[in-house]
Amino acid sequence: MTNLEKYVAAFTEGLGVEESVVNSSLEYQSIDEWDSVGHMGLIAELESVFDIEMDTDDIVDFNSFDMGKDILKRYGIEI
Amino acid sequence: MLKDKNIVITGSNRGIGFAVLKACIENGANVFACMRSRSEEQEKELQMLSEKYNVAVHPIYFDLGQERTIKEGASEILKYKVPISGIVNNAGVIGAKSLFLMTSMEDIRHTFDINFFGHVFLTQRLLKNMIRNKSGSIVNISSAAALDGEPAQFEYVASKAAMIGAVKKWANELGAYGIRANAVAPGVIETDMVSEMKTELLSGTVGNTALHRLGRPDEIAKAVVWLLSDDSGYMTGQVVRIDGGLHP
Repeated sequence: MTNLEKYVAAFTEGLGVEESVVNSSLEYQSIDEWDSVGHMGLIAELESVFDIEMDTDDIVDFNSFDMGKDILKRYGIEI
Repeated sequence: MLKDKNIVITGSNRGIGFAVLKACIENGANVFACMRSRSEEQEKELQMLSEKYNVAVHPIYFDLGQERTIKEGASEILKYKVPISGIVNNAGVIGAKSLFLMTSMEDIRHTFDINFFGHVFLTQRLLKNMIRNKSGSIVNISSAAALDGEPAQFEYVASKAAMIGAVKKWANELGAYGIRANAVAPGVIETDMVSEMKTELLSGTVGNTALHRLGRPDEIAKAVVWLLSDDSGYMTGQVVRIDGGLHP
């Protein structure tokens, strides 16, 4: 499984959404599932999938599918 | 009651924390025993308990007053990759023994760092594990003094009151993930902390207790075990006062 596939799977699992909605246009609060509750589920899933522990500032800044890729780079994860 | 659950307990080397650790182990839980300093004697005792009850006991060392070490301690716990079922935020210091007007801000901040902020940070680091597993129980050890203002100093009372505020908010925010948060507010319990109380204050407090005696750490531990267990599955955001009928 590539990092991109893992990344997309973390969104589908963490937010409980279909893969079809996980793309570059996906942003925090752009769909019902990615609210504050869903956000923590997503972060928990990402931490588990990539075996990282994210800092609070990064959790707050993680506000879109694309931004998330940049943030994960800080943890040595290239998507 | 706690078979196969994984419980994190701070200040687990003595007093209420050690009683909670023993009670959790006796009830079948695996435990992360968080302590500030390493002791060979303590490690031997934990090893003995682990073998006797056939559970895992992991000593974890960090200082709740230092964010860096809390982060390292939390990472060490997370590296075991087990679902964390419970966190018992127990460790605490009594603070300076002075009246409010004679207590420095430095002393107040130090007490809050250990009694409140350290636990908040630890919980924040561990919480995502619970969120992923969509279950968990957080138990904050507060104090009857947080509810009454007595018998203790300002920074102890205020920091323990903050622990109650924390569970109220956590209960509200984390219920969506199946995570519960409650506080226990013990009265005067036979611990090292109480041995530091002035004799007159201690005897006066016992005299104001309906049961006319100090509580034992195991009497608090039993309530904590229940709050950690599925038997309290519909209880969240509450403060359980266990004080022998203390009326200050």
